[in-house]
Amino acid sequence: MIEFREVSFVHQNGVKALDGVSLRIESGETVAVVGENGAGKTTLVKQVTGLLKPTSGSVLVDGEDTKSTSTAKLSRKVGVAFQNPDHQLFSESVEEEMAFALRNFGFAPAVVQQRVAWGLELFGLEEYRKSSPLVLSGGEKKRLTLACILAWDPDVVILDEPTVGQDSIQKEKLVGTIGMLRSAGKTVVVVSHDIEFLWPVQPRVVVMKSGRVVGDGPARTLMLERGLLETARVVQPQLVELYQGLKRRPEEPFVDPLEARRWVEEAAGR
Amino acid sequence: MRGGDMADILEIDGLSFRYPDSPKRAVEDFQLTVPEGEIVVLAGPSGCGKSTLLRAVNGLIPHMYGGDYSGDVKVGGASVKESGMRDLAQRVGFLFQNPENQIFMFTVERDVAFGLENLGVSRGDMRERVDEAMRLLGITDLALRAPHELSDGQKQRVALAGVLAMRPKLVILDEPTSLLDPKTAAELVGLVARLRKELGTTFVVVEHRLDLLVKVADRLVVMSEGRKVLEGTPSEVLFGDEAEGYGVAVPAVTRVQKMLVRDGFIPRGGLLTPEELAVAAGGQGP
Amino acid sequence: MMWLSGGFVFRRGTSAYHKLDPRVKLLISALMFVTTLLVRTIYELAAVLAFFLVVAAIATVLKRVARTMVFTLMFSAFIFVVNVVFTRNVETSVLYAVRFVAIVVSTSLFFITTSPDELEQVMKTFRLPRDVVFAFVTAVRFIPVMMLDTIQIMDAQKSRGLELDKGNIFRRVRNMIPVLIPLVVNSVVRSGELAEAMESRAYGAVPKPTSLVEYHTSARDKAVAVAAVVAFALGAYSFYFILPTQLL
Repeated sequence: MIEFREVSFVHQNGVKALDGVSLRIESGETVAVVGENGAGKTTLVKQVTGLLKPTSGSVLVDGEDTKSTSTAKLSRKVGVAFQNPDHQLFSESVEEEMAFALRNFGFAPAVVQQRVAWGLELFGLEEYRKSSPLVLSGGEKKRLTLACILAWDPDVVILDEPTVGQDSIQKEKLVGTIGMLRSAGKTVVVVSHDIEFLWPVQPRVVVMKSGRVVGDGPARTLMLERGLLETARVVQPQLVELYQGLKRRPEEPFVDPLEARRWVEEAAGR
Repeated sequence: MRGGDMADILEIDGLSFRYPDSPKRAVEDFQLTVPEGEIVVLAGPSGCGKSTLLRAVNGLIPHMYGGDYSGDVKVGGASVKESGMRDLAQRVGFLFQNPENQIFMFTVERDVAFGLENLGVSRGDMRERVDEAMRLLGITDLALRAPHELSDGQKQRVALAGVLAMRPKLVILDEPTSLLDPKTAAELVGLVARLRKELGTTFVVVEHRLDLLVKVADRLVVMSEGRKVLEGTPSEVLFGDEAEGYGVAVPAVTRVQKMLVRDGFIPRGGLLTPEELAVAAGGQGP
Repeated sequence: MMWLSGGFVFRRGTSAYHKLDPRVKLLISALMFVTTLLVRTIYELAAVLAFFLVVAAIATVLKRVARTMVFTLMFSAFIFVVNVVFTRNVETSVLYAVRFVAIVVSTSLFFITTSPDELEQVMKTFRLPRDVVFAFVTAVRFIPVMMLDTIQIMDAQKSRGLELDKGNIFRRVRNMIPVLIPLVVNSVVRSGELAEAMESRAYGAVPKPTSLVEYHTSARDKAVAVAAVVAFALGAYSFYFILPTQLL
């Protein structure tokens, strides 16, 4: 679905942000791209929709090279939720805001209406339909930007640092949304320096450092590699740390606190 | 370190505040005393009134934002309502959430000096204080750089240096780790602990990411809808039953610990790190 | 936008010219500016412009200045056309057009070699009120930030299907609205946050704030200033009094 072939990218000022990245993301996968700030995660995301084009190598979305098509066309298939909603909200009303992308992509007016209504309901924003998007709270704005994307039903949804500035309730909702996208068969890519909140989702994890992919595998096994994570300045999820500290433990680390407690108590009972 | 003069650096006494165009009060009958040298974490879901409370402590409320104000806030014994911003700026430092929008000057060292220039501090004293603040924050080698060339973590240190240069006894940090990755965030928390130790400064930190702060914080205060709903040491609050209900991010390992304690499996005790819990729950692994 | 950023945004430099007292740099650019107004034939103007480029080369900013010149040609072509239409005099129209380029070059030279801190120093010398100076310096400090914001906003809107480089002029202008509105809104929010930070760091506490850095004019600065004035005087004299009579 998304393929990076030996992609390197050098900024105008000479900084190499991506260095020989090769990666394949299949349809329906849930992938977390982790790494410290500056590791190249956002640059990677921008390559997918052609906002940035590789200096060498190529990026293919559904077989199509990003160099030979426009960001608008690619965005029809790949919806990207950027970190800062204030960088995109501008319409007179929330419903207009939701209709914006739909109209750009050429949906018929009746369909636009339908999808706007659907999106507003799904994200609990119906009461703000006629309000200005600018007066919504931070959390509501984030939900709105996500609703806008889902309204045009892309195959892939990329979330760029979705947890920045979010409280725990909002993070939980986000995990729920990711689960929903998964069950709808979407390919979900979450770029985050915070792996802790994603742990229950058990995604495939791609670890980046200095523009390179230094680790790639299922969360359950990759998060055990302390050395790798240290180098990439990625913090292990707490349950993994706990797991590794136990003398006797199950084959794979705990996914949630209940599982941890159950295992510890059962193991002691034996 | 602490000890000796344990005067209360911050006293919030029955504070209530309502913004002019709002029907509801943003802060409702808030009570809190903070002795000097403590690190207090203020948590609560978005919109619970934390920002308003912080601004009532450093004086932006009522001096910059008017509204329905009742109750009193005292910093170092002086009433916030009755002191001017000039005085308050020297008692309370405020590190805002967005590092970018609190750096004014084109050069780092000039921005660190900004507050001192405003106060009319002499050049000699200013130089000394700016150098000291930069040294404390480890940014001396960035002195002549331009802010837009710096990373978010570096910008934050510059802004904090500017705050510390004014030598306040109380420093407020508004969600300081929100833009930082976990490693850098941990470094910041370590820095705060070190500053408290070296300078005896009191810190009030608003944070969602509690897993980083619980080890260094003396107290955790939880707010909900403008009111204080929980208060105690971090372990007291996180081990309690109500924390999760108020949207407090109880760290995963703490949840496990709570359950094990409740089941009588491990003894009661302080908050344990994952490693410590592993030891308590069944020995040492690799 | 490239024209603006290439021609007027400061970038650090290490040439002797960069190290000059900003007031001297201002003097040089001001004298250049006046010179372009005094010049009356195209040949003289070409010579003057060449001289400007030599100065730019000394200041190691020739590439940027040259690029700005090229971008400015579009505007100057417009000036040429308008003048030709109204005065029907090709020679003076060319003169005005090239003069415009020379003016831009002289101004650009000042801004790209003078940091916002130095700009502040210059403004203080002219005894401008502190609030004005501060507002200006802060605005300049945020130019790179706003440029970055603009790119991010454009990225976000492009990702919603907005095509910025399609359509006729009207369509393109309308397509800028989803970029301009967030930019303006963010600026307003930014001002609010800056105001909070200013208050919290005692802005306005004292009528005469002190300053961390002190600026001294060195002997070299003074020498360069004198040399510039002398060069200008000689040039003005010859352009105004000697050359025209020679040509006539």
